[in-house]
Amino acid sequence: MSSDQAAVTGHRFSSVVPGDVTGSAVVHELGGMDLIMKLHYLRAVYYFAPSEVVDGLAITDLKKPMFPWLNVYYPLAGRIRRAAEGGRPFIKCNDSGLRIVEASCSRTMDEWLHVEEGGESRWRSLVPDKVLGPELYFSPLVYIQFTRFKHGGMAIGYSWAHVLGDPESATNSINLWGELLSGNPQTVIAQKNEENTEEPVIAPQGPAPALVPAPAPIKQVEIAEDVWLPPTHRKMATHCFRITETELQKLHGEQVPPFETISALFWRCLARIRSRREPELATICRSGTPAKNNEILHNKFRTSTIKLDSSAASVELLGLATKILKQDMDEALVDRDNSTGEQDFLLYGANLTFVDMGGIDLYGLELKGQRPVRVDYSVDGVGEEGAILVLQAPQRTDLSVMVILPEDEIPSLCRVLSSDFGIA
Amino acid sequence: MPMAPLPQFSSSVKLKYVKLGYQYLVNNFLSLLLLPVMAAVSLELVHRGPGEMVELWESLRVDLIHVMCYLFAIVFVSTVYFMSRPRPVYLVDYACFKPPATCRVPFSTFMEHARLIYPNEKSVRFQMRILERSGLGEETCLPPANHYLPPKPTMEASRDEAQLVIFSAIDDLVRKTGLKPKDIDILIVNCSLFSPTPSLSAMIINKYKLRSNIRSFNLSGMGCSAGLISIDLARDLLQAHPSSKALVISTEIITPNFYPGNERAMLLPNCLFRMGAAAILLSNRRRDARRAKYRLVHVLRTHKGAEDRAYRCVYQEEDSEGNSGINLSKDLMSIAGDALKSNITTLGPLVLPMSEQLLFFLTLVGRKVINPKWKPYIPDFKQAFEHFCIHAGGRAVIDELQKNLDLSAEHVEASRMTLHRFGNTSSSSLWYELNYIESKGRMRRGDRLWQIAFGSGFKCNSAVWKCMRTVKTPVDGPWANCIHRYPVHIPEVVKL
Repeated sequence: MSSDQAAVTGHRFSSVVPGDVTGSAVVHELGGMDLIMKLHYLRAVYYFAPSEVVDGLAITDLKKPMFPWLNVYYPLAGRIRRAAEGGRPFIKCNDSGLRIVEASCSRTMDEWLHVEEGGESRWRSLVPDKVLGPELYFSPLVYIQFTRFKHGGMAIGYSWAHVLGDPESATNSINLWGELLSGNPQTVIAQKNEENTEEPVIAPQGPAPALVPAPAPIKQVEIAEDVWLPPTHRKMATHCFRITETELQKLHGEQVPPFETISALFWRCLARIRSRREPELATICRSGTPAKNNEILHNKFRTSTIKLDSSAASVELLGLATKILKQDMDEALVDRDNSTGEQDFLLYGANLTFVDMGGIDLYGLELKGQRPVRVDYSVDGVGEEGAILVLQAPQRTDLSVMVILPEDEIPSLCRVLSSDFGIA
Repeated sequence: MPMAPLPQFSSSVKLKYVKLGYQYLVNNFLSLLLLPVMAAVSLELVHRGPGEMVELWESLRVDLIHVMCYLFAIVFVSTVYFMSRPRPVYLVDYACFKPPATCRVPFSTFMEHARLIYPNEKSVRFQMRILERSGLGEETCLPPANHYLPPKPTMEASRDEAQLVIFSAIDDLVRKTGLKPKDIDILIVNCSLFSPTPSLSAMIINKYKLRSNIRSFNLSGMGCSAGLISIDLARDLLQAHPSSKALVISTEIITPNFYPGNERAMLLPNCLFRMGAAAILLSNRRRDARRAKYRLVHVLRTHKGAEDRAYRCVYQEEDSEGNSGINLSKDLMSIAGDALKSNITTLGPLVLPMSEQLLFFLTLVGRKVINPKWKPYIPDFKQAFEHFCIHAGGRAVIDELQKNLDLSAEHVEASRMTLHRFGNTSSSSLWYELNYIESKGRMRRGDRLWQIAFGSGFKCNSAVWKCMRTVKTPVDGPWANCIHRYPVHIPEVVKL
């Protein structure tokens, strides 16, 4: 791990702001669901293979489209503020900007991607791992890192505070940047302006509503104060599995869709590994229905929690997958204004969480016709029960699975999967 | 009736009309005197009758030789007179650099960067207080190198900034005037704080492939008033060389001058100075008179460097930690006031109408001879000029001059709005202000314009221009897409 970190050097930091003045009193209100997600951070790394087009993009070319981009996505450039001392947080759209990091890697992209030994969390060196706080009022919400590899190729690291929006919002935002860079600005911006009908409002000053007990998918944790990270007692690590089409077919045939199959598979494996504390509860998380008022930044999930009477390891794979498939999903976990920010919660990792991100267009980030050859996606601030993200793979027919688990569970999981199912 | 108390009673309406009458009488004295003379002469003619006139003519016994000699004498004298007059200097057109939105620095970004760059919290708070009261807006621009944490002021970055701002302004000027680079005879560049070798003027000659016998000059170290020094130099050169065009570039390169230390007096420039450049085309060709915008009437330079206090007022030095920066002394405003007084004392007789000069002269005599306690009369320069361009050095400078010269808010609007939109762009700020006045449609043919610039040394320079054709809106320039938002109200203190 440390040799990976040492390979990425020459970090230069700068800021990018919206091209137009947003105004002095513009505020992005944070809804109840946004505040529930405040302790989570999305980290994405997009790898672009060496090519004349990508290597020919200078930092000014990369930064230039960000200015009109931020005219549309101006809350990304804002900063957290609180209504009063200890009051409800909101985002003040004061044009502070995103933080941009430039770095270079002393290895080639091939070496980086295909060397198996060493830590699997190699992607960590390619995206800033900052969180909100300790200086909450001066912490950027979004970081972007551009890392150039030896002999060409580039990795774009995108760090996104979940309080801004869900993975769909995050991916749509960076895909828009890609479109602007590729040079079809007019239609795209006009379309986005029509879509963005969110009215800037001043933060509500009403009295704090009564505290309600947390619903099952989320778990209350101690208040995070000025550093927005959950209290962790165990170190979390990540691992990425690639599940090919043939392997999927072996598992389920045609009866159950891939996400449910994979979730059932990992649930059973984890139940075997965690012999002492088996995961009886699991939360399924899917993206919410499209917003009616077309907000471009939203935290919308459909969640549900499944409780098993017996150990997951004892349930047959197909049956478990079917149970997951037939589960009813709740659209709204909390009312929009329910949370005042006086309680802090976790969604990912409160229970073992399975997130269906198969519909999120990760490979839609296009830079002048070039698409990423690989995308690593992870979440920071996940609770100890762990989270499993099911993502698109470079091959449309395959799926990538990113597991975020306590460090010590990962080797056992790899062993079980490769010995029993032949999945590496 | 004593003259000195007049300004105190100027609020009284009756005295206002007396004042107006007095001004009209004194300023048009000669024409008014001509009327009775003409009346007397015509009366005499009518009295004498035409016949007597013809007799008078015959008695002079004028023949062809005499007529030829008189004609020759008249032609000779007029030729000598016309040849010895100074060549007029026309400002054909000018162009200002419009900073791109990619260089924009909002207040919040500036403050966040300051917190990350300066470990000393007092320096951060000081800069925040300065920024709150500075009169700058949220659209001012810093060069790309200054957006980094910390800024890395390399020579290459400085050259990049110079190329960006200067070439942009020149390209705009070429587009507006149809100027061919081969036609430029004189090139003057002024940039105080960045002086590489080869010079910036060589950089321009290289880029635009100017002629090998061009007369080029590069003025550095002369501060914010160097723009008018360049104009003065151009004027002198245009007197010496007939039928020539001069290109003057005024700019200030911000990249190399970031101050990373903690000395308060040296942190001010970080907060106020921003990117800017102007390219001005001057000509002494007669045929350019038809399309020129302005004619240069006077340039007046006042240098107070002989006094130590004025000399050390704006001083570039290293602080105790070895960081180089520009130290602005606390006496700056009073020294500026003194320099201004010297300048307008010389300028006054050249531009003020007779009425003001007479009042000033009588008050002066009265103070010397009758009663030294009389208040000195400050001439009303609003009668000499329609427009004022005061260097946007900072809010305090504009406030001070507005008070000293008794100017209305509309007179200083161009300066305040330029400070808000572009910040202190040093020597080019006068041209941004002029562009503001033109963009607002206020510049009419015959209007007189006064540009005042202050700079290190300590210098106070003035230029007086006369408008030769009404400038029609919309005006293509840096104000083009934001003029409709101006003027804005600038609060005393902006809440950050």
